[in-house]
Amino acid sequence: MSESPESNPAAAPDPVELALPREQARARLLLFVVLVVATCGLIYELITATMASYLLGDSVTQFSLVIGVYLSAMGVGSWLSRFVVHRLADRFVSVQLIIAVVGGFSAPALFLGFAQLDSIRPLLFAILILVGTMVGLEIPLLMRLMPGREQLKDLVARVLAFDYIGALLASILFPLVLLPWLGLVRTSLLFGLLNSLVALWSAHAFRAELARPRSTIAQTLLAIALTGTCLLFGKQIEEFGERQLYDAPVIFSQKTQYQRLTITRLGDDFRLFIDGNLQFASTDEHRYHEALVHPAFAARDQLANQPARRALVLGGGDGLALRELLRYPNLEQIDLVDLDPRMTELFRETPQLVELNRGSLADPRVQIHNADAMVWLERRRSGEAGPWQPWDVIVVDLPDPNNLSLGKLYTVAFYRLVRAALADDGVAVVQSTSPHLSPNAFWCIVATLDAAELNPLPYHAHVPSFGDWGFNLIARQPLVVPKTLNPQLPAELRFLANDLLPTLFVFPRDQAQPAEVEVNRLDTQLLVRYYEQDLAALGPRRGGA
Amino acid sequence: MVVGRRDWLLGTPALGGALACRPAAAREVEYALVGQSPERGHLLRSGELLDQPIAGRERTKVAIVGGGVAGLSAAWWLVRQGLARADLVLLELEPALGGTARGARMPRSAHPMGAHYLPTPPPELPELETLLEELGVLVGRDGQGRPEWQTTAICAAPGERHFFASQWHPGLYPEHGQTQAEADQWARFWTMLHALDRARDGAGELLFRLPVRRSSPQMRALDRQTMKHWLDERQLTSWRLRWYVDYACRDDYGCGIDHCSAFAGLHHFLGRGLEETRAGELLTWAEGNGQLIERMDDLLALGERRQLDQLVCAIDPERGELRVHDCVAKATRVIEAEVILWAAPRYLLPHLLPRGVDPLPSGALTYAPWLVANLELGQAPAGVGAMLAWDNVPVFADGQAHDLGYVLATHGEGRDIVEPGAVITYYEPLVGATAEALAMQRARLLAGDAREWGEHVIRSLERMHPTLRKTLRAVHVHRWGHAMIRPVPGLLFGPELELARQPIGRVRACATDVGGLPLFEEAFYSAIEGAEWALARLGSA
Repeated sequence: MSESPESNPAAAPDPVELALPREQARARLLLFVVLVVATCGLIYELITATMASYLLGDSVTQFSLVIGVYLSAMGVGSWLSRFVVHRLADRFVSVQLIIAVVGGFSAPALFLGFAQLDSIRPLLFAILILVGTMVGLEIPLLMRLMPGREQLKDLVARVLAFDYIGALLASILFPLVLLPWLGLVRTSLLFGLLNSLVALWSAHAFRAELARPRSTIAQTLLAIALTGTCLLFGKQIEEFGERQLYDAPVIFSQKTQYQRLTITRLGDDFRLFIDGNLQFASTDEHRYHEALVHPAFAARDQLANQPARRALVLGGGDGLALRELLRYPNLEQIDLVDLDPRMTELFRETPQLVELNRGSLADPRVQIHNADAMVWLERRRSGEAGPWQPWDVIVVDLPDPNNLSLGKLYTVAFYRLVRAALADDGVAVVQSTSPHLSPNAFWCIVATLDAAELNPLPYHAHVPSFGDWGFNLIARQPLVVPKTLNPQLPAELRFLANDLLPTLFVFPRDQAQPAEVEVNRLDTQLLVRYYEQDLAALGPRRGGA
Repeated sequence: MVVGRRDWLLGTPALGGALACRPAAAREVEYALVGQSPERGHLLRSGELLDQPIAGRERTKVAIVGGGVAGLSAAWWLVRQGLARADLVLLELEPALGGTARGARMPRSAHPMGAHYLPTPPPELPELETLLEELGVLVGRDGQGRPEWQTTAICAAPGERHFFASQWHPGLYPEHGQTQAEADQWARFWTMLHALDRARDGAGELLFRLPVRRSSPQMRALDRQTMKHWLDERQLTSWRLRWYVDYACRDDYGCGIDHCSAFAGLHHFLGRGLEETRAGELLTWAEGNGQLIERMDDLLALGERRQLDQLVCAIDPERGELRVHDCVAKATRVIEAEVILWAAPRYLLPHLLPRGVDPLPSGALTYAPWLVANLELGQAPAGVGAMLAWDNVPVFADGQAHDLGYVLATHGEGRDIVEPGAVITYYEPLVGATAEALAMQRARLLAGDAREWGEHVIRSLERMHPTLRKTLRAVHVHRWGHAMIRPVPGLLFGPELELARQPIGRVRACATDVGGLPLFEEAFYSAIEGAEWALARLGSA
């Protein structure tokens, strides 16, 4: 900081002559501050409202609630300003700092809170009320800090004019520039930084009136460092944050004991997300689920003389694989093992979702078990949880192996368990992630199934919302590519037909098996690493199923 | 999604730290001493019970003293070979079976008190495979005949991490910041091990195998030097490598490279085949080997022939008479047995025998005392760097810290368990160079109360997890005065173990310690040999 002119006796002009331009300079500075503060204030409001509608759905309600609460908090702040009597400059800088830090970190805090908290509303409204109150407090303080020459009418006119211009600036910048270019997290941090810079500037301008100027300036520098650093290294937070967002309006979002379930709806398209990962889109889920279920029955016709009577679904709590299974009239009993009771409840009781799975979860042939698939199967095998009687068809429809606890369900040990659960003439199918997006992971699953002596027969299908998606047919006996669908299957499929079926087993040359993939064992869990590396190579994107 | 949300959070230093600082309601930490009671052992040695009146007399064919891995294995083998359950009695001093393999439970989870895992047996141990099959741990075989294990018993990745230079790193070797020379030594060490891996002598005997006494004579000379000496001779001076080997010895045998024999030290890596080349896994359970004890107990179904709280206070080896004090009923009776299998620590036996009968010189076997503690936490430990693993080990280059870190009892929980928190088991062998030093360590161990040792444990863990105390609910301390036989130079193939195993009249010792290495497999095979001896004796009588 350069020394101020008056402290330099050699160059000191007449103080009376200087008074006017200096006051004018300060007034101009303060008007600029009003502009920035107003812009920031509205940006934080817009961020909060956007987050609320992204995360909680129902944007009209969220926006009007946020605007209402924010404006009334501003009112409270303005009213509170009458109690601020002493040390106006100190208070003003402090208020700016609070806005800078709370507002600047509002988006990262809300994203983290969404991942961690049961309900995001208390945090959201706490941020909103705090920032609103402080912004409301700020303008009156600023007006009182304005140099005293101006008349009230001019002062109010100028300050409020700049205030509203700032609001206009923000409301144009936010949707057109900031949101598309920077995203929520970095916008919020950028304005936090801007706010802290203004705080530094005002601290410098008012340093003569501050009680402890050094400490105040240090505080502003700290806020600058904090917001600035997070902005610089904000890429990770950014990517993480963006993953919480959905392209379509959220109609349901709940954090269960196990995961966050989110359902979005755009027109007729319902989408289910688990922890931000797309599980299905109702416009094309029939492709995925028909390709998942029916080739297994077609392949089983090679091995078995009797129609399948018992089926097991591991995962698949949305009831959609179940819907396909229930097309087979000879199936007498289906066990479905899904971790999350809230998930199966949701898809058994919500009318639009029941329409989608045709009430499969309430079918009398279906028995639902809410448990970890590995633990449940192992308990069954040891006779602790019901009889151990092999199944004719097993559908393994689990989320992608993006963490170690899911990776366990893709290991040799787990597949040996599935093998033990499979009848001699039975066939199972494993959702095996995308051979296009994560080739190493896909072929690692194939190698692992092979190591578990399950004779994998890999195939794939195009599901537009996922991309090219991979599966594996497995059995205790070797399988050949099935040519015709099971004759019991009513001719009502929308995707699969006899002419398409064998083509699913053909892989183009650019999707051939990579030279070196190792087997996924419980004690090494290489698959999760393959999966992460594959997806990292593609840049951030949503995984599927 | 590339990384799970929570993984991402925990993997990020600043945020992980912030979350770990989440305030917790201040609660009273419960300190308790749990497990083996030193009082009963001392009662045994004091001889004061010998004046008690005899309330009754019983007869049996086989009396097994000790209800740990050895005692239960002996009973299992005897019953399998056709001995009627009514013809044996199994006497356990404590109110629970298991010995050092005991498990227990805190509200959040079951946990081990001592021994907590078993590597899947190599092919040369078919009897152990049979046991595991009968216990339902070995559940089938694949097309090539390789055993298949209960999935929930296999220790899943991540198995290990170590705390070094203020961060967690995967695995156990402190690789971070090593020099090229250190890396070369590490590679050289492994080349040597690979050369010995599954190697056999001219007669086809494995150079290193379990039980250790069946190893080929070829390398036995290594038992005459310490592991440190062996490393010195090969110019393996890297502190990182030495820390790693020392850790392995302390972890398995309760004594470091200074005291442990080179044969035993190498046996740790080679006895079942090198971990990286053998197709084996570690089997572990929340309650550690307590799970195996429970299953053996269920399988045996000995009913009232399995008796707890039984203190054997005198043995007449010639007449096969045991004087047994029931610690609950406070009554003493005499059991006349045709054969007595002493499946309890060998050092106790001379206290029960008539004076001068035991051929084994006193102090021939030395034992490492261990401090084990279980901590119940409201929040699972996290930390910067590698994610929480099953085994979490601190590396301190100064060599002053001798604790082995902690094992996560809740590691194997399925995705269906969402209850927060964890139980961790802290392990620390109390090392000493001489019998006197060990006796002092033992006295120190037994003199401390729950709070003193609890605080000691917390302070050790706080070096890795400074905020541990915030969510700590309970510390249960287990003091093992004679936890492990120490394989010091000369022990494994020397005359002492032969003497220790040698029958005394109708009595034969068959617990872990007379095998020489403190391992499940040694207990199991000592017991089988003991049981075979008992059967032979019954047959010839």
